[in-house]
Amino acid sequence: MTPDNPPPEGVLPPGMDRRGFLRGVAGGTAAVALASLLPAGCGRDYPQARADRAELQGLTAKEYAVARAAAEALLVDVPVDPGLVVRRLDRELALVGDPVLADMKTVLGLVEHMTPLGGRLRRFTALPLERRRAYLAGWRDSRFNLRRGAYNALRGFVAFFAFADDATRPLTGFGGPWPERFQVPAYPVDYGEVA
Amino acid sequence: MIIQGTNRRADVHDRADVVVVGTGAGGGTLAAYLAERGWDVVMLDRGGFHRAEDFTQREEDAMGGFNGRRGMDATTDNAIFFNYAEAIGGSTVHYWGDSFRTPADRLQRWRSEHGLEWMTPAELDPHFAAIEEELGIHVTPEALFNENNRLVRQGCEALGIEGHPPPTARVDCIGCGWTQYGCAYNRKSSQTITTIPRVSKAGGRVYSDARAEVLLRDADGRAVGVTGSLLDRATARPRAAFRVDAPFVVVAGGALGTAELLLRNLDDTTVGRRLYINPHYFVWADMGREIDNVTGLPCAYVVHGFRQVRRSAAGTYESGGYIMLANHQSPGVAAVMLGGQGAELTRRMGAYRRLGSLMSVIDEEHPGRVFLGEDGLRRADFRVRGVDQLKAVDFLRNAARIFLAAGAREVWIPDVHGTVVRNEAEVARIGIQSVQPNAQFCAGSHLLGTAPLGTNADDSFAGPTGEAHRVPGLYVADGAALPGSVSVDPSLSIMGVARWLAAGLHERAGRAGA
Repeated sequence: MTPDNPPPEGVLPPGMDRRGFLRGVAGGTAAVALASLLPAGCGRDYPQARADRAELQGLTAKEYAVARAAAEALLVDVPVDPGLVVRRLDRELALVGDPVLADMKTVLGLVEHMTPLGGRLRRFTALPLERRRAYLAGWRDSRFNLRRGAYNALRGFVAFFAFADDATRPLTGFGGPWPERFQVPAYPVDYGEVA
Repeated sequence: MIIQGTNRRADVHDRADVVVVGTGAGGGTLAAYLAERGWDVVMLDRGGFHRAEDFTQREEDAMGGFNGRRGMDATTDNAIFFNYAEAIGGSTVHYWGDSFRTPADRLQRWRSEHGLEWMTPAELDPHFAAIEEELGIHVTPEALFNENNRLVRQGCEALGIEGHPPPTARVDCIGCGWTQYGCAYNRKSSQTITTIPRVSKAGGRVYSDARAEVLLRDADGRAVGVTGSLLDRATARPRAAFRVDAPFVVVAGGALGTAELLLRNLDDTTVGRRLYINPHYFVWADMGREIDNVTGLPCAYVVHGFRQVRRSAAGTYESGGYIMLANHQSPGVAAVMLGGQGAELTRRMGAYRRLGSLMSVIDEEHPGRVFLGEDGLRRADFRVRGVDQLKAVDFLRNAARIFLAAGAREVWIPDVHGTVVRNEAEVARIGIQSVQPNAQFCAGSHLLGTAPLGTNADDSFAGPTGEAHRVPGLYVADGAALPGSVSVDPSLSIMGVARWLAAGLHERAGRAGA
């Protein structure tokens, strides 16, 4: 077993996949609690949010650090600051609230603490960039729906908030919204009184 | 009158002949019908009121502004994204405007399986015709084809596959391409600019930012009104309370919203038992040159050749069971759909202007469900399984063939396996592994069936008139009321059924001819 060659996933808590892990918050929380006994690698504090001057609304500093570390790994040569991507995610999660927020918190906790499944002895945020990419690819390619689902949630949010940014237009060739480029009047609509 | 709940600080108590919860395809159609025939109508919607100038075509504005759960809603296992709107106008704010009458074979199924004898073309066609007239529905003209649409048509013609431009609900569309983010020019005939102003001008009150929470019932159990909260639009936090008293209560909050309200208020096992979504899988084709898949209609061409399931003499599935829609997506959403991470994601997004795309509307046989979780929050499960997985694979393969016939350099199946197809021989690479849960992005935007009509009270929420089997005075009139998948975009079906239900309610209430 090598660090980037995860063991068979039967080691996951039995029944977790059947329940649907994003629904099984209790199972996820238990796994996080167990795995959080791991050494933090670079220390138990998560200073990234403070360093980024992120005024978090939904995520904790720890969750911000995990999401940011994931964004750094998932985005390559994308001209958007990973911290900005995660701050947008944080804002939206705070506004939408549960169950999306609670599910995402579970995902981030598991990503951070389930590194031993791949034989890694450090938490996700303490892994070097390439090891983080390989670790996330392991989630993507997992035989277990729950891990792929967690990966897709994290990857999807990062990809969306990165490529919704105007700075990616040179990469995609997207010209931007019409209302910012052309003057076309909207047809009038009479709504009657609007209060 | 449009009353924006987000602007209210004081509690509201209103009375009406009918209160309609939900302002989308079903609620808007029903409410306008009644309001213009003398009914005093109150409408409620938990979403905001947005006008053309609010539709910036910016992805974050749209997702946060009017998409359900800010564009972040999904099944419990995150395998399927739910695409619906919460706004005055409901999901017609972001729908593509494809407007098909309910296929006759589907009406036949609903008559035979659910006892809905009135669901005949003869009964519904007058309502469809009236709506088509009101919304300016017409066959999509060639001027709204972009190159992706033309390529799909070219591939279909080369392979002898049936396809057509769809009837579309818009007037003088300028083809900006971003209908999904709300029409910035009032050219798409959403309920927001059609039925809602009609209700307002007929004396109705339309409350935005108004979350219905409690169905009021009298001592006999009859529905007599609704209470709830007026929400601050920016934070979704309650600002004030409202109460609406009415002898008729119509729930039309969409398949998820209607189910949630009913589940919170009634002990009725028929609610949320079935959820149909028409699963959308996506195929992308690198055409090897820049194409225009940004302007025009996302879908000016629909592939119908696979709508019917073909089975062997022994009854084994062989092919079909879906239609295909030409597809385009804004960059942020495309990045989600395309899959890939790191340099691979960057490479795929670098091809954005070269990509053609098709999406499936799978006519599923295995529905999901909507329920309240242990935390009291509304959740939904849906698993594409059994024959529906075979349909999905068949879609992926035939979509790949269409693009190859149109000259694609390579076709991407955006699964976790990175499946790429460059010729017919490689099409066989596409298999069941591509459609396992969370193996690729999948979405559902045709959400139906969670409070269905039917004659069997053990299997349906409401009877053929739309009135709940167990709660007099309570009606359902939206996608939740349809008994199953329509197999095509359901918006016109929802409107037509809602208008038929409204006509029946009007007549039974003794107000016809009043």
